[in-house]
Amino acid sequence: MHHAHIDKFAYQDSCVHRLDSRVKFIIVLIFTAVVISLPVTSPSILACYAVGPFTFLVLGRIPIRFALKHILAVSPFVLVLALSCPLYDKTPFTAAFGPFTWQTSTGWMRCFTILGKFIVTMLALIALVSTTRFNDLLTGLQRLGLPKLLIIQLGFLYRYIFILIDRAHHILRARAGRKLKNLGAKVEMKTAAAMLGSLFVRSIDTAEHINIAMQARGFDRKWRTISKLQIRSSDLLFAVTAASFLLGLHFFVRPILH
Amino acid sequence: MSKAIEIENLSYKYPDGTVALSNITLSVEHGQALALIGPNGAGKSTLLLAMAGFIKGSGKVLIDGLQINRKNLKKIRTSLGSCLEDPDDQLFMPILFDDVAFGPLNMGLEAEQVKARVADALKTVGLANMADKAPHHLSAGQKRAAAIATILSMSPKIITLDEPDGSLDPRNRNNIIKLLADLPQTLIITTSNMDFAAAVADRVVLLDNGRIIADGPAEKIMSDSKLMTDHGLEVPAKFGK
Repeated sequence: MHHAHIDKFAYQDSCVHRLDSRVKFIIVLIFTAVVISLPVTSPSILACYAVGPFTFLVLGRIPIRFALKHILAVSPFVLVLALSCPLYDKTPFTAAFGPFTWQTSTGWMRCFTILGKFIVTMLALIALVSTTRFNDLLTGLQRLGLPKLLIIQLGFLYRYIFILIDRAHHILRARAGRKLKNLGAKVEMKTAAAMLGSLFVRSIDTAEHINIAMQARGFDRKWRTISKLQIRSSDLLFAVTAASFLLGLHFFVRPILH
Repeated sequence: MSKAIEIENLSYKYPDGTVALSNITLSVEHGQALALIGPNGAGKSTLLLAMAGFIKGSGKVLIDGLQINRKNLKKIRTSLGSCLEDPDDQLFMPILFDDVAFGPLNMGLEAEQVKARVADALKTVGLANMADKAPHHLSAGQKRAAAIATILSMSPKIITLDEPDGSLDPRNRNNIIKLLADLPQTLIITTSNMDFAAAVADRVVLLDNGRIIADGPAEKIMSDSKLMTDHGLEVPAKFGK
């Protein structure tokens, strides 16, 4: 089965794809922290921050539609949170955008800010995973000091999540092929539990086979890899540019928009 | 010189009491290509697991002159490479390079040696430009070839392959046949496809119910239509199906 992998553009080649994963990860982390800490009553500044990840996506030749599609896919949770704000916070608020001003409530401002922050940080995250191979990201995280066990777990998760999804699809298809009428909630629950059980047993079976494959190749509980990461002048240039962008927004643009 | 594989009176029961292998005695010379054939549940895969020391039955198993025991296990796994039935089990790393490098790194080789071995192994299986690919981006045929590369990079003397032709289309099956024909190692291959067995093996061992029923040259065993049909198999086209 073919999956819509979130990292499907990570195998392209561009100036941003070639950047060191550690530098990209740290910049995205700082960028996310800065965006999250912006005041909830100034959503217009978010448009300026969005320029960063947007430029990154353009330089990496990542279709914006692809990024927006993925944002939309995970938006329901945030939408519920954001849309609940106008319900509990009805304090009057005068919003301004350039020469325009209008009356609204703090709840609505909070709602737009949450949505804006979500879109901008998700754009940055998608820019990171779409321009960095997952393996390089893991190697980078390992070099940044993340525990090896966590890195191994993430590696296995990435490798086998698609296989697990495939298996779940096969089981669902097998059920759909024989399910000719609605059997009622009780029977449906029982069937779902049996399907989950089958998936669980097969996952254990796979884990045992992987263990055999690892031991057959001399695995002795020590995880060894060849690290290929190297900080180059282009990485430093990127770090300086990103830092200037964030500092410029903080010290020059934010005071104007406030 | 020691034989590649020597098995004497090997028997094995599963924890539920099912007899998987019964009194197996088998000797394989270096450089032979041996196919283990038999119906489903005959014990073919179990025998491969016993050869690699993953299950321990009664009897004696020697790999390249070394008896399988805890002390020899690391040496044995360097000289005998096991390729599992499902390539998704064999390819467990995020990218192909790391998967093929996994064995050589565990052997304690230096980074440069590992890189050279990975490049050689991927070239041998025709995936030279795929080192940075994630396994889930490979086709079924490429996954099979990649699984074999993970073993070749360790330069083993003996390679065991469990159903290497499973779920492959004819073109990919022929690619695997060509690949296996060019390998100098001792090959132990299990398969349920008699045409595949006839194409890759010079010797055949027929297993049924955990016992060796017949052992000899591929043509002699596989052209015996009564023997083959009695054990749920068929005569391959090469030998007059």
